[in-house]
Amino acid sequence: MYSVAQLVEYTSSLFQQGFLDDQFNQLQLLQDESNPNFVVEVVTLFFEDAEKLLNQLEKEIGQENNIDFKRVDALVHQLKGSSSSIGAQRVQRVCIAFKNYCEEKNVEGCFKSLQDIKQEYTLVKTKFETLFKMEQQIFAAGGSAPR
Amino acid sequence: MATKCMHVFDRLLLWFATCWKKNSTLTGRRKFHKDVEKEDFQYSTTQCLSSYYSVFVVRLAIMVMLAILIGLLTILTWHFTKIYTTKSLNSLAYDLRYELLQRPILRMWNILNSTAEITTAQVKLSEYVIRSHGNLATQAEQVEMYESMRAVTWALFASRKALNSITVKYRNGFVQAFHRDLKDNNIFYIYTDLSYHETNSFAAHEDTHSNKSAIWYREQLDPVNGEKIGKAMKIAPEDSISIAGLSQVPDGVASWHVSVGKFTDSPLLSAALPVWDSSNKSIVAVVGVTTALYSVGQLMKELVDKHSGHMYLTSQEGYLLATSTNDPLLTNSTKKPKLKMAVDCDNEVIREGAMWLKKTYENNFPPSHEVHEENARLGHQQYYIDSFFLILKKLPLVGVIIIPRKHIMGQADERAFKTLVILISASLCIIVIGCVCILILTNGVSKEMNLRAELISHLEARRKAEASSNYKSQFLANMSHELRTPMAAVIGLLDILLSDDRLTNEQCATVTQIRKCSTALLHLLNNILDISKVESGKLVLEEAEFDFGRELEGLVDMFSVQCINHNVEIILDLSDDMPKLVRGDSARVVQIFANLINNSIKFTLSGHIILRGWCENPNSYGDSENFTLEQKPFGCSRKTKMKQHENHSKKASNIDNKMILWFEVDDTGCGIDPSKWDSVFESFEQADLSTTRLHGGTGLGLCIVRSLVNKMGGEIKIVKKEGPGTLMRLYMQLTAPVDATEQHCQVDFANNNLMVLLALHGNMSRLITSKWLQKNGVLTMEASEWNGLTQILKELFEAKTSTHNNDFDTHFPAPEGLNSKFISIQELPNPTFVIVVDIDLLDLSTDIWKEQLNFLHKYYARAKFVWLQNHDSSNTVKTELRKKGHILTVNKPLYKAKMIHILEDVIKERNVEVQKKNMKEDDLHESLEIEYTHHCDVASSDGSDISEIGSSNLVTANGEKQREEVVRINPSSLYQKSNCLLGLSNGYMEHKEAFISTRAKGEDSKGGETSRVSGSSKAMNGKKSLEGLRILLAEDTAVIQRVATIMLEKMGATVVAVGDGQQAVDALNGMPGVERNTITSQTEILSFPSYDLILMDCQMPKMDGYEATKEIRKSEIGTSFHIPIVALTAHAMSCDEAKCLEVGMDAYLTKPIDFKLMESTILSLTKRETLTS
Repeated sequence: MYSVAQLVEYTSSLFQQGFLDDQFNQLQLLQDESNPNFVVEVVTLFFEDAEKLLNQLEKEIGQENNIDFKRVDALVHQLKGSSSSIGAQRVQRVCIAFKNYCEEKNVEGCFKSLQDIKQEYTLVKTKFETLFKMEQQIFAAGGSAPR
Repeated sequence: MATKCMHVFDRLLLWFATCWKKNSTLTGRRKFHKDVEKEDFQYSTTQCLSSYYSVFVVRLAIMVMLAILIGLLTILTWHFTKIYTTKSLNSLAYDLRYELLQRPILRMWNILNSTAEITTAQVKLSEYVIRSHGNLATQAEQVEMYESMRAVTWALFASRKALNSITVKYRNGFVQAFHRDLKDNNIFYIYTDLSYHETNSFAAHEDTHSNKSAIWYREQLDPVNGEKIGKAMKIAPEDSISIAGLSQVPDGVASWHVSVGKFTDSPLLSAALPVWDSSNKSIVAVVGVTTALYSVGQLMKELVDKHSGHMYLTSQEGYLLATSTNDPLLTNSTKKPKLKMAVDCDNEVIREGAMWLKKTYENNFPPSHEVHEENARLGHQQYYIDSFFLILKKLPLVGVIIIPRKHIMGQADERAFKTLVILISASLCIIVIGCVCILILTNGVSKEMNLRAELISHLEARRKAEASSNYKSQFLANMSHELRTPMAAVIGLLDILLSDDRLTNEQCATVTQIRKCSTALLHLLNNILDISKVESGKLVLEEAEFDFGRELEGLVDMFSVQCINHNVEIILDLSDDMPKLVRGDSARVVQIFANLINNSIKFTLSGHIILRGWCENPNSYGDSENFTLEQKPFGCSRKTKMKQHENHSKKASNIDNKMILWFEVDDTGCGIDPSKWDSVFESFEQADLSTTRLHGGTGLGLCIVRSLVNKMGGEIKIVKKEGPGTLMRLYMQLTAPVDATEQHCQVDFANNNLMVLLALHGNMSRLITSKWLQKNGVLTMEASEWNGLTQILKELFEAKTSTHNNDFDTHFPAPEGLNSKFISIQELPNPTFVIVVDIDLLDLSTDIWKEQLNFLHKYYARAKFVWLQNHDSSNTVKTELRKKGHILTVNKPLYKAKMIHILEDVIKERNVEVQKKNMKEDDLHESLEIEYTHHCDVASSDGSDISEIGSSNLVTANGEKQREEVVRINPSSLYQKSNCLLGLSNGYMEHKEAFISTRAKGEDSKGGETSRVSGSSKAMNGKKSLEGLRILLAEDTAVIQRVATIMLEKMGATVVAVGDGQQAVDALNGMPGVERNTITSQTEILSFPSYDLILMDCQMPKMDGYEATKEIRKSEIGTSFHIPIVALTAHAMSCDEAKCLEVGMDAYLTKPIDFKLMESTILSLTKRETLTS
């Protein structure tokens, strides 16, 4: 069982560690009675989107010799947009680096960035999942998430 | 040769060492300089080193090859020259030697022969004489026989001069002998005592030599006739000559031997033959003949004399018989002289030659005894030694000739030696020179290699630098987002803070200051981004049609506020031939002029700023060429670049409709020192560093301007001007659309009987306007202050009425200039008076202005009043004006376009008046106003109250006909204008402090107002800010789509989300008819489910935002409908903005979407919404 205080602490730790930025606060502000699960919904959307993009990226980068950098760039751009929209700051940063490598056509950098992105993505995903789990439990216990 | 090689090798080694040393020092230096690239350089050093090795090896190889080649050549040449001559000379020498030796041998032979002959003849004669005397019974007979023998012998002896002696020894021991003493050339007759012989005649036969009792006599004879000269002398037996005895011919055969004479120092050749008796059974006597070999020696001497050689004859045993020298051949011992052996010869050469022969061959002479030795070393010289063997019976002879080699081969040897020396020295020279050449050559090569290596490293460094520059640009591009976001946040927060009324004044001032600083910082950032953009070459100019005049007018309008505050006139003076529409990058053009004007404003404290523009015939490039040529300090590269550019543009102008537009920005500021005219265009350069403190700025403005102008195919420079201030002249090449070139402002006011009275404060603008009007056939009058205006008005109108009285002149004396004008005005049939009055002419400080208005109102019916008002003109004045019916109001500054519109309106109004006399004035005004707004948005402003402030929009105002709109100027209208421009361009037009303040004010009002709007609307209406708006959201990323949708819905808007550009276009086109219809009726628009705004992501699959916008805008052509499109983009560079705006988007939002910003942007674009609500 998590307490509300724990949740608050956890959330602020996410901000401090740079996983999230202000955009996430904005998202939370947008959540109200009319769409109570907005944040979860959006983040889940992000997960789906990101997973799809990551798969495509992996496929593109996996093509060793003739990597279509334009395509990769577009994919990363999308990922950057969606990650920035939910406030997943670290993913966004790696995306920016990735885009640079893309412009340079730096294959190694792209590989590295892809790994980074994956890592950051998994990290942020677990963080989000934990966060939501905590929220859910609190919610189930009759509490309400602090805003 | 070896030493030579060693030398070359040493030299190479030395050279290599120095090279290496040089290299290493170089490395050291580099290391010092570029610590960062140390590793890299080490790599290249090893590369260099290996290349040095290869160069070294190649050098060595070439040198060795050269040496070998030249050595071979030398040897071959020497060999051929030497060997052949030697051979031929040798054969010649052999012949010579043979010949030389042959002759003494022949002589010897001759001697022997003659000796033999004589001997034989003597024998034969003796035999005859002895036989004829038969039995010698008596002594007398005997004597007689001896006498006859003597005679015979004498005859023979005399006939042969070479003979040494002839002896006849009889059996009985009697000896008869003739002897020739070669020394004294005396001839002696030697005989023995007869009596003795008789007694011992037979004993002698046995032993002649032991017979010592015989008495020998010697008589000297006359050599000619043989007569006795001297007396007979007794001599010792066989003292002088050897007498051949019987013992010598024991077998009765002739014998030969060499004997030694007592009186001669040369050996004698003696032959002995027996004389047989008639029965041939017993030997009667023995005849001996001796011949001196002296003559042979003599001959040899003569022969050899020439050749400085030596010759000798020896017997087989080695006894010397004859030599070519004068050395004695006999040993002078106390006993009998004896023959010498050749090896004991006194002559050194002969002795050594003989010894050499003896040593070489010992006793094993070759069978023929012939020896030919060419290189016998005797003493210190080399000799030819040849020996021949002469076989004579009983006397075999050996001839040896020794000739110094020098004599025969001397010249050849010398020549050969000289040739060799010359060849060797020549080849040495060649090798040395060749080596030097190779060294030089390879030095060049290695130098080249060095240079190349250096070049490569430089290229590498350059590539790195470029890469780092690239990184810089990328970094800036990325940072633009990162930097601007916090800055925007800071500014926004400050706005919120400012709108808080609980702040104390002090706090408020501080916060305002912080805000100013923040905006300044933001603009600095933008500037730096721009310059880096230009520098990195990423700046791409757009090609879009735009109205040049309008852009500049907007700019002047914007700056006029600032100018009025500074008490500076700003005047736009564009010539009539300027094309209305041009193709180009409007944003960049505006940026250029904004920078320039801003600069001028900064440094102009009083006076005026004129922006002049004119167009140059695109075909005459002469001026621009001159322009270029004048730009010498710009440097050659620049010039050529420009030339190329011009060539290029010339070519282009053939196809395109290129125009060269000239502009001048003329101010009356402090001016720039001529020495700095060029440098001010460099980045971070300021004309006067001390002004930085005064005016601020980074010095980037002009640099950006120049970069942009150059990019547009133009030039900018500072031109000398009269009076104070600066005159910047620039030209740029822009394309004019073919159909639009003739769309000049074709205004013709000449025939409209117009009279314009310009009552303006500013001298320059009045002057320029009046000049332009006069050029276009409009009569003008000018007044600069209230009194002048009243005077002219009085004169004008009251004179007009008084024309009938003809006392015009007397009552109202006017200046001379005016007089003629009055007269010409009076000549106008039915003139229309337009009076342009600057609101500043009114005395606003007191209440006098009301009286002044009343005064003017007197003329209201007779003239059209146009009021020029300031942005800060008070509302009371304006309402008062409106109340009085003065509806034609224009904001300062006054420029051509405004003037044209005023005049057109006046003319139209007059026409309407003429046509519809009965029409109500109100309607008239209204319709007029609509027209006016339509043509010129300058005076357009919202009619609603404060609630709309911050949401007025140029485009919407223009696009939608607003019937309700009443011309009511509120004090912030100009703010709004600048605000709008700002909103559109998002602050890239001008970033200087002045503008910042404008923007700050604008944003102040905006922020403040917006929040107030939302606050009030919520409070009063309980409505959300975007209530009722239909928004089309085109966004492909699900997350963003969702977030944006929720955000918008939160604000109360209805959102339709689509996934890409194509869908957006389809969604819009789904109801094309509706859109078209809405144009006609304004009120109906809400009832149709059209969209009020589109939020468009820029990067989308299928069709991106730009494409979609273009498509939408295309479909809007021909209609006056304009749906606001807001771009959503993750990029933050101003070029993205520009791109967005270029394709027809109205505003620009960056991701992640900011709630507040989106709200305000949407609100500003959908003003109609709030208006209708």
